[in-house]
Amino acid sequence: MSPKLLFLLFLRRWHARIGFGAMTFFLLLSVTGFILNHGSDFGLDAKYVHATWLARWYGLTPEPPRQAFRRGRHDLVAANGRWLLDGRISGEKFPQPVGLAELPDMVVVASSASLYIYGKDGALIDRLEKGALPGAPVQAIGSDAHQLVLRTASGTFESADALSWRPAPRDAIAWSEPAALSAAERERYAELLQPGISVQQLLLDLHSGRFAGRYGPLAVDFLALLLAVLSLSGAWLFLKPRHHRRERH
Amino acid sequence: MTAGGPHRHALFAAALCLCAAAARADVYQEPDAFIAEVFGSRPAPKLLWLTPEIQAQAGAILGHPPAQLRQRYWSDAHRSVWILEETGKEELITAGFVVAEGRIDHVRVLVYRESRGQEVRQSAFLKQFKDAKLGQGDRLDRDIDGIVGATLSVGAMERMARLALYFDRKSRE
Repeated sequence: MSPKLLFLLFLRRWHARIGFGAMTFFLLLSVTGFILNHGSDFGLDAKYVHATWLARWYGLTPEPPRQAFRRGRHDLVAANGRWLLDGRISGEKFPQPVGLAELPDMVVVASSASLYIYGKDGALIDRLEKGALPGAPVQAIGSDAHQLVLRTASGTFESADALSWRPAPRDAIAWSEPAALSAAERERYAELLQPGISVQQLLLDLHSGRFAGRYGPLAVDFLALLLAVLSLSGAWLFLKPRHHRRERH
Repeated sequence: MTAGGPHRHALFAAALCLCAAAARADVYQEPDAFIAEVFGSRPAPKLLWLTPEIQAQAGAILGHPPAQLRQRYWSDAHRSVWILEETGKEELITAGFVVAEGRIDHVRVLVYRESRGQEVRQSAFLKQFKDAKLGQGDRLDRDIDGIVGATLSVGAMERMARLALYFDRKSRE
């Protein structure tokens, strides 16, 4: 058997071996790359994965919920940038609340720089940022008879609709105060309010190899090298026999 | 599966970098200052409640349900100002739209939070919206030229422009 034929057989054998051996990884890279390329269409930036093992893998230390704000039939617990308002998760990247107030047809949650106004059904009605507040930072939120009251660095203000504000008298205001959680409640809420990793970040880390740790990117570099070898060997296997046939004719 | 210390640190650092990128915001003008610039002072805000019909049409324009159920706006006899927010690629873009007689008078990007695509704040891009109005199917009556590398931000600006015109129409009914 000629050395050229031996080389071709060697190349074919190893082309197949490398292709088969790295198939799973190439599929992983292809799928994650494809999904990342269309991440916005799939709404990945707004999707989060919440799992204890994943948070641990990422080295995230979950912040345990320690207190709740309660007013009437409403309660709010916050941890890890997430709110649990009346048993309903409000979203991600939320600020630390300073209190909760109830008006006849709405529930208002205050953070130091914003107000979140919810309907009685839990739907978000409006979010007021610093410019729409009578003062900032908000230090406390409360209510008197039918008014929402904010204590800010600029003074105390009241409003019936969270739109127009006027200075409020300082008496007869029921300020929202945090209440400590029992051990059982802390455990239950910690489970519900685990920190999340965005799907986009997870896919990015899988695609780049960072998910596997410090040597992950090196492994992906090696796979890229294998892909280059496969391309070259594939081209060789495709072109060489044709060239050989042309020479014989 | 166990996570080694350096591994955790690398991933945690990557997560922190992403959070830092997410927290970054270029504030070109405070919304309050934009409103004051349009009217000369800051008028009291008005409210447009998003009825199920308005929610449905706003959802059709945005491609997703509106984030909240009431929209604040500011207006006088001739103009209305809408401060709207929409996600470009990953982060919200805050823009101010001035609408006069059913047409866009001018647009300004107020806060930009994405890491790239800031070109949408340039006047050469924004002047394309001048005098735009809603046509058939609540689409703009003209095509807005895109910007290479800022396709999603351009799309977000166009959706907000349509929404501002639609909200203006509803606020005057």
